[in-house]
Amino acid sequence: MIGESNAITRKATLTLNISEFDVPPMQDMLIVGRKAPIGPEAVRRMAEALSPEQFTLIKMEHPKIEAVLLRSSLLQMIDEKLLMSIILEEAERMISESMVLRSELKIAMSVKREVDLL
Amino acid sequence: MNISEIMTTTVSTITSDKSVSFAAEKMNAYSTDALVVVDHGELMGVVTSRQLRSTHPNRIVADAMNVLPIRISPEDDVWETHALLQEHDDELLLVMNEEELVGVVTREDVQLKVAEFIDPLTGLYRAPYIQYMGEKLLRKGKPFHMLFIDVNDFGKINKRYGHPFGDDVIRMFSAALSEWQSNGDTYLCRYAGDEFVLITTASDEWVKECMETIDKPTPINDVMVSAAVGHLDGFREPDFFDKPLREHIARASLLSTKAKMNKESMQL
Repeated sequence: MIGESNAITRKATLTLNISEFDVPPMQDMLIVGRKAPIGPEAVRRMAEALSPEQFTLIKMEHPKIEAVLLRSSLLQMIDEKLLMSIILEEAERMISESMVLRSELKIAMSVKREVDLL
Repeated sequence: MNISEIMTTTVSTITSDKSVSFAAEKMNAYSTDALVVVDHGELMGVVTSRQLRSTHPNRIVADAMNVLPIRISPEDDVWETHALLQEHDDELLLVMNEEELVGVVTREDVQLKVAEFIDPLTGLYRAPYIQYMGEKLLRKGKPFHMLFIDVNDFGKINKRYGHPFGDDVIRMFSAALSEWQSNGDTYLCRYAGDEFVLITTASDEWVKECMETIDKPTPINDVMVSAAVGHLDGFREPDFFDKPLREHIARASLLSTKAKMNKESMQL
């Protein structure tokens, strides 16, 4: 028998962390594993809904990677084949079939020119 | 036998944005192994239970479905569909009337129907198959060669070596004949006991080579086996398209009897 002095009290503590939602939340690139919980088409639809016409999905034949979602503007700056070979070379070191990796990818151009003096 | 005779007109559908786990539940609820994917009235593809098993349950149907399923017409025949399925691993075929989905047919439906027309001893099709294919070519106005092939002295082989040996002869002879139907324009059946019918739209040279090969006695388990061939040339036969297939088969069979008698008189 539980007496009044032994009454149980239950309390809940609520913690609220508010921060700004990044739009789009996937930065510049998503690399989708073959057995990842989200497939390429879902990723494409998500990107299209959040940032219409800004991302391109590239499907590929690779043992672990099924597709790469890439900010389209990057493809205007650098050749797709070259870019993909760099991305795959680096990503395949850490990705597993069940993972989705996100990545920031910035391209900076450095130019040094020599001109004849008058 | 047309696809319309075996197709299912009740089609279970799903939208491409549903999860794979939802699709699996729906398949269980409808006791089906495949769903047709339709978005806003537009046909997107097909998803099968086999595809669901190899896909993460959280993925959406769009990432599991086959976007290019085989599309066939209700008028297509089951034998051609069966041949098509040998080249693809699709489990569900869409039956389309031009752009409209009118039904579906499963690999199993096609296999079961075709099995009804397969001769258990040889694995070749039976007579109704050649009847169908021949009539179809006649309807389309496509001329063809017909070979009626009759194994020589099969009764004597049975009496001398026993029926199980006779069965071996038929099996091995059929296997040799079936090598001639690999080019896609040739249809073969075991018409009855020791008789076979081959229909082909191939060239005269091909037919000549085929007949010469069949005509040559071949050793089967140390017994020389030969066959008489009756050749009906639909490319040159007068009024070929005005006569029913039954009449062509009768004529080709008489030509094989004549060929057999000629050979016997030459041997005498």
